[in-house]
Amino acid sequence: MSESTKVLSTPPALGGQIAEFIRNYYIYFVLAAIVLFLSSVNLDQYALFERGNFLYKKNVINILRVSAPILVLAGAFTLLMVSGYIDLSVGSTMGLTAVIYAMLAINGVPFIAAFSITVMCGVLLGAFNGLLVVKFNITPVIATLITLSLYKGIALLLVEDGVSAIKSMGEMKMPSWFNDYARDAVLLGLPMAFWVAVGVTALLIILQNRSLLGKYAAATGGNPTAAKLSGIKTGLVVFALYAIVGATASLAGIARASFMSLGDPLSGDGMELTAILVVLIGGTAFSGGEGKVLRSFIGALIIMTLTVGMLTLVPAYYQTLVIGGALLAAAASNHLVSRKQHQS
Amino acid sequence: MNTHNSTSVLSIEGLVKDYPGVRAVNNVSFSIERSTVHCLIGENGAGKSTLVKMITGAIQPTQGAMKVNGKPYTPNGTQSARESGIATLFQELHVVDELTVLENLTLGMEQSRFGFLIKSDLEQRVIDTLATIEPAINPYARVSTLGVAQKQIIEIARAASSGANVIIMDEPTAALSEREVERLFTVIHRLQEQQVTVIYISHKLDEILSLGDRVTVMRDGQHIATKPMADINGREELIDMMIGRSILHDYTPRSTISDQVFLSAENLSNHRLNKVSFTINKGEIVGFYGLVGAGKTEIARAIFGADMVSGSIKLNGQEVGNSPREAITAGIALVPEERRTQGLFTNLTIRENIPVMNLPRMSDFGIFRQRDELNAALDYVEKLSIATSSIEKHTEKLSGGNQQKVVIAKCLFSQAKLLLLDEPTRGVDVGAKKEIYDLVKELANQGNSVAVFSTELEEILGVCDRIFLLYDGSLVSEITNGSDVDTNFILNAATGGLQEAV
Amino acid sequence: MINTTIGAATSPQLLKSRVSDQMYITMLVAGVAIGLFLVASVFVPNFFQVQNMLNLVTNNWSVIALGVGVSFLLVSGNFDLSVGGIVALSGVLSVWFAQAAVGGSTLSTGLGLPYWLAIVGALLGALTIGGLNALFVVKFKIPSIIVTLGTMMVARGIAQVITEGSQRNTNLPAEFGYLGNLKVFGTSMQFPVLFMLLLLAAAIFIERKTVFGRITYWIGANPEAAKLSGINNAKHITYLYLFSALVAGIVGVLLSSEFKSGFSNRGLLMEFDALVIALLGGIAIAGGFGSVIGMFFGAIILAVVTSAATGLTLSPDWQFILKAVAVFLAITAQTWALALRNK
Repeated sequence: MSESTKVLSTPPALGGQIAEFIRNYYIYFVLAAIVLFLSSVNLDQYALFERGNFLYKKNVINILRVSAPILVLAGAFTLLMVSGYIDLSVGSTMGLTAVIYAMLAINGVPFIAAFSITVMCGVLLGAFNGLLVVKFNITPVIATLITLSLYKGIALLLVEDGVSAIKSMGEMKMPSWFNDYARDAVLLGLPMAFWVAVGVTALLIILQNRSLLGKYAAATGGNPTAAKLSGIKTGLVVFALYAIVGATASLAGIARASFMSLGDPLSGDGMELTAILVVLIGGTAFSGGEGKVLRSFIGALIIMTLTVGMLTLVPAYYQTLVIGGALLAAAASNHLVSRKQHQS
Repeated sequence: MNTHNSTSVLSIEGLVKDYPGVRAVNNVSFSIERSTVHCLIGENGAGKSTLVKMITGAIQPTQGAMKVNGKPYTPNGTQSARESGIATLFQELHVVDELTVLENLTLGMEQSRFGFLIKSDLEQRVIDTLATIEPAINPYARVSTLGVAQKQIIEIARAASSGANVIIMDEPTAALSEREVERLFTVIHRLQEQQVTVIYISHKLDEILSLGDRVTVMRDGQHIATKPMADINGREELIDMMIGRSILHDYTPRSTISDQVFLSAENLSNHRLNKVSFTINKGEIVGFYGLVGAGKTEIARAIFGADMVSGSIKLNGQEVGNSPREAITAGIALVPEERRTQGLFTNLTIRENIPVMNLPRMSDFGIFRQRDELNAALDYVEKLSIATSSIEKHTEKLSGGNQQKVVIAKCLFSQAKLLLLDEPTRGVDVGAKKEIYDLVKELANQGNSVAVFSTELEEILGVCDRIFLLYDGSLVSEITNGSDVDTNFILNAATGGLQEAV
Repeated sequence: MINTTIGAATSPQLLKSRVSDQMYITMLVAGVAIGLFLVASVFVPNFFQVQNMLNLVTNNWSVIALGVGVSFLLVSGNFDLSVGGIVALSGVLSVWFAQAAVGGSTLSTGLGLPYWLAIVGALLGALTIGGLNALFVVKFKIPSIIVTLGTMMVARGIAQVITEGSQRNTNLPAEFGYLGNLKVFGTSMQFPVLFMLLLLAAAIFIERKTVFGRITYWIGANPEAAKLSGINNAKHITYLYLFSALVAGIVGVLLSSEFKSGFSNRGLLMEFDALVIALLGGIAIAGGFGSVIGMFFGAIILAVVTSAATGLTLSPDWQFILKAVAVFLAITAQTWALALRNK
């Protein structure tokens, strides 16, 4: 027997194990590096941040406040990608649910009811995606591009012509509690929307690590044939994940509407790109099977810190370029790291 | 209960499987005893895989019955086979790399409450099962860090812990090293200690002889014998039973073989091949014969430049083997093993499939000569007797034999001087087979060289002038075809009889 | 070799072909386009007019042009969602390069290059993005949907930086607005429309009669078989991305010439429209199937639907729903029609 056949069976050498470690924890280092860098830059000249010190409490709070939508969405989006599927309609879902929430509120529906109804709408919107993908067998990219357009259209139609959003106008007044969810400090100076995002993420972490759905999602994404042979109903798994993404997208929409005091159908535009970027930074692979909710959460924090922090250094119109570049860089590095892993 | 069947875990009674025009399995009956390693051997086309498919419920028998532990067993699908305790180890591994060993072992069988996993004795049970058959694997390791052999063992452990009492292994050692094979054997012995029965299908007779308790030999769809291994007098007896009579072949030596070397390959090696060297002369038809895992496809692809290999390949003194494009330009064409996924553009028409390998012949400055393309297609349809109502038919609608002819036409169009055919008549009807053989002979008579890579001995013996015998990645012998060819020798070589001390 | 000479057709009946699946679908799409037009003419006042028919094509010249590149890539099995961003980038570059080197503010100051050189520069910028697409998709093997979304943002992002988030439209040489507003042949047809028609004709020719076109189908139908037949998939797909980028670059230059400005939001969402008309036109996501003729009629369908909606005084917001429904119907109908035909 030649020596070359032995290569198949030896476990990865030390180099492979180091690569695994880096892949698991590098984002923590990146986050720390960004924070340190930004805190060392002299920010006195820019009005956005007070006192010039990035780590000043108010600045951190501001970043976390503004991050609520992506933070609540990232975890569910990760689980969906782990199962090997994608949802490009999250931005439109966010916009549509923001409109629905604002419409309910402005028409006198109380908080709990408006909140619940909107979340249920989110679930239905997500489930519809699941239906298109699983039942109609439409490839996920096209199916969710269809719903991206469909939901945006519905949202735009719900808002009167001539007006850009559902907001206080003339006799229709937005109720006073509307802002509370995403603006008022509730705990540690942070609003309820943020803590809901943390709670949802914690729930999803538990779901990923300790539930059937989490495990089956990884199996479906990692090896769909093996999953089916083990008796897993992969269609049901994927359908459920799309519904969950829809639900969290609606939470994001509610947070956005509450923050801005209005329901803007376009308020979620581009969210799908941010979500993709965030999960890539967190180490999720497009082929499925790989990815952790916690890492995506941290990825979201990094991206938001970067975006908000960047606004203090460079004008706003640099943002698209930086996000696009980050997306390409993240995709490339993700791919190179995972390729190295499979070589051993 | 039947006392004389009390040790039989699976009994086959008069199984028959008919396909249109052919009886693949002909009245096969034998019994498999509990806790034995029961080997199933036979040449290619003997009916082994059809029989196994009936056992696993993938296909339904035309006649006959089966019993598991004395009770009637009629699986209507692979799921019900598993529920009756019969598991199969596939060649494509069904493990999820991204999960841990333990998660893979419990996949689909977890205990849960409200959808959340709860600890139960399932985890301990599977860990114990794994430990008894292979203690060296860490149950908390990610499967992606393990090698092929270990993943195989995990699948075995999974079958064992999910209550399988019969595990079918089909050519399990095709991708394993010596040490890994030994480890697999240890695992199998431990399975036996756990009252699990193993049905072991392999052509590697040395493995069969050292591992098996009982052996069943099949030939031409029929059951030849089932005996305890202790009663077998070495591999010669097995080979005799596998062959039976001398293989009928109507080979006549050809006169147009030149003694000019056309292709020479030296020391081809990669993860599968082991220093393979050979030459092919002009006007010659050579055959590469070996059973599963022998390395035939790897050699074909290496010559064609589709896979990387160390060593040298020279066509008329010129180096080749770096890319398919280079091979085609030099005059080599490959008819790949899997015509649907590798050879054909199934959603395109016959006409559109043909010109791809030789675009300059069909175009000027990048513009197609439609008239010529049309005529070429018509030409080949006629010359190769492709049965179709039109050259505009989509190739996915053609029968296997006709599809293969389209692939051959595609290669002929490239005006290749060396044609490589990998399993050229697999899934092809008898009439088309003969047509393909005649075509091969005509090609060679015109001064071209042909290399046939096949697991069908009759095919090789019917067509080839010189035959290279392969086993496990090595070229173990070379014989010249003729009326006095020793088929026992051939089968012996192909089943490892010529290997040095294993 | 077996009869190497290519002689005359031996069996005439083998030539008799039923219409191929591809032509069937293309005809189906054309039929739907014409049918919809007639239906719309019934319900929408003043719809059935020659001028309206012409407008359907001329108003959408940019999307159809982009559709050519996107269609070819789709046939090869890849996405290109970066074309909208390239349109913005090349337009902005052409303005910036051509603006006089001395101006009153940063937004009125450019590089002062002669107009033709500015165009060359803009197209080079477009090709760079195309090259990036090819690099990431072919070399790094990252899914094309992600890559082109990223490069779309990069392209548009560069445009936004150069225009500081708005636009550059001052200090331009006199000939800048020439190409975009030129009326050809003494008729009222604008040059950009002529460009689109020529491009479409070239595309149809390439698709049906050239080796390059056929290779695109082979790669899309079965990339593995293509490789084993000696085709260099990587090289070909690179060419396709460069081609698509070049077309988008030309569109961007023409648009900025027409409006005499480089606007960073130009071409917004055009890539999705290009994808939509390709899908409506019967080009399969899986690759290896579909024709640019179908894409053209897909554009007609979309144009009829959206302009009928306007004609019925529906709000422009309806276009999103209409597009979504149209694509859904197109995909399911085409799958169903093919399945029925090939039973």
